Amino acid sequence: MKYAMIAAALVVAAPAVAQDMVFTSWGGTTQDAQTEFWADPFAESSGTGVLQDGPTDYGKLKAMVEAGSPTWDVVDVEFDYALQAGQQGLLEPLDFAVIDKSKLDPRFVSEYAVGSFYYSFVLGSNPSAFPEAPQTYADLFDTEKFPGKRTFYKWSAPGVIEAALLADGVAPDALYPLDLDRAFAKLDTIKSEIIWWTSGAQSQQLLASGEAPLGIFWNGRLAALQADGMDVNIAWDQNITAADALVVPKGAANKDAAMAFIAEATSARGQAEFAAATGYAPINIEAADLMDPEIRATLPDAQSAPQIDADMAYWAEHRDEIGSRWYAWQAE
Amino acid sequence: MAAIAARRGFGFALPALALLVAFFVMPVMWLLLRSVTEPGLGFQNYATLFGTATYAKVFLNTFMVAGIVTVITLLLAFPVAWALVILPPRWSMVLFAIVILSMWTNLLARTYAWMVLLQRTGLVNQILMGLGITDAPLELVNNLIGVTIGMVYIMLPFMILPIYGVIRQIDASVLQAASLCGATRWQALWRVLLPLCVPGIASGVLMVFVMALGYYVTPSLLGGTSHMMLAELIAQLVQSLVNWGLGGAAAFVLLVATLALYALQIRLVGLPKGAQ
Repeated sequence: MKYAMIAAALVVAAPAVAQDMVFTSWGGTTQDAQTEFWADPFAESSGTGVLQDGPTDYGKLKAMVEAGSPTWDVVDVEFDYALQAGQQGLLEPLDFAVIDKSKLDPRFVSEYAVGSFYYSFVLGSNPSAFPEAPQTYADLFDTEKFPGKRTFYKWSAPGVIEAALLADGVAPDALYPLDLDRAFAKLDTIKSEIIWWTSGAQSQQLLASGEAPLGIFWNGRLAALQADGMDVNIAWDQNITAADALVVPKGAANKDAAMAFIAEATSARGQAEFAAATGYAPINIEAADLMDPEIRATLPDAQSAPQIDADMAYWAEHRDEIGSRWYAWQAE
Repeated sequence: MAAIAARRGFGFALPALALLVAFFVMPVMWLLLRSVTEPGLGFQNYATLFGTATYAKVFLNTFMVAGIVTVITLLLAFPVAWALVILPPRWSMVLFAIVILSMWTNLLARTYAWMVLLQRTGLVNQILMGLGITDAPLELVNNLIGVTIGMVYIMLPFMILPIYGVIRQIDASVLQAASLCGATRWQALWRVLLPLCVPGIASGVLMVFVMALGYYVTPSLLGGTSHMMLAELIAQLVQSLVNWGLGGAAAFVLLVATLALYALQIRLVGLPKGAQ
């Protein structure tokens, strides 16, 4: 009798002591949308609270895993990093009995990571600076025709190197393996005109203020500027796609909840609502049906212009080598 | 006796010391250890750090920027410290409030404010162009100028306060005596006032220089990449490249430089006030 009562008490108490899980992303409007469309509905349906942390920091992630007690359960990382971290044993293999990968774009599925969302690096410009908008990467490197500062993503990641090679006349199907010498030589021609952005908000500020009237941006940040009523020129020609990934650090305390969270985040509903709010594309192939066709048409995967997929496997393999060179070149 | 009396309160410092050891000393040691164990045992990270032209340039930049910032801060701070002493109390209180209030505002917010003020379409350029001083907007940000302006502004109170401290203690009759003995104003300044201010100047200069060496936020927001400083390099190595061996080595070099300067300060002007 006594034991039965204790057991009953435990059963009743169980939901109350269910541990909260922690989701970590990059902050800003992106994480706000992830909270609203993934974490909140997940907390409601599963009863597991989702605490938000950030920004994502690869050094921290590695430190947590090595210390054996990661406090992060699901982390939004860049896809090339996800592949590399998986190879280095820093991540839990995903449980595809919980996550339905048959509905996910196979480009963004691996043993340790599934896509979070995907986006394009696009050439954006401020119409008040140029009567005729720059359309190609060649224009981006043409400082006579389009004078002014250019703004690029500061950290070593797929995007800018590819754009430099395309501007220099490399054919899209001959991009990989990347010819770094050629890319840096091309970047050298405009080096003094580059301002680096380190956050999406900063890239918006630079473009909107005219400090850097053109540059390469995450498409979602330009969509957000347009939603705020700013006139922005977006050239989709040869937009370069890259993706974020959802991963679970090895030894995460709430592994089961983490898998269920990823299932919810990558569901058609979660992806459709997130995409509508951020301007990034869904990685669930059924999400399109749930979206307003008008919004749908503005997303990277609905563009008719030629699109180039950054080679994540190549980047994962050469991440350190490219990164060292990238930063050394910046500091030169 | 005095030594025993001084030691009596030591027990109360233990909780704070334990906190520092657990959350500051240990992690730092752990990172430093990595610099000689990753990727293999030995000093290859230090060899890379000192043997690569780019990294050598980062060291040079760091000391150069810290030096420029320190000199300009000193030149601007001295007159302010002097004014704080000689102004009527009501005005010096207002001035004091301005100096102190700036320290209470969030560093990031202040740095962002500079970003907006200094950009091509910013207020500073608009005023300069409106006054006809320049035709085209000057490049005041995303370069060395931006870093210098932002850092000098943040460092000013740390230079003003120690100099104010020593000037206030100078007996005004010393200056009277100088002028009675026939010293001109410049002579009184150079040969009487300044020598008496040396302890305050030295502690302000060293404090500002050391703080500037490890600065991260301001250079990364207001600077370009061509004058990268050591703290930015460490952040890149640790966060983006996840190369802790090299990052640890860079951090160790920064720590040694800082400690050496601190030792120099103790030697020249003694321990900071209150630590004696």
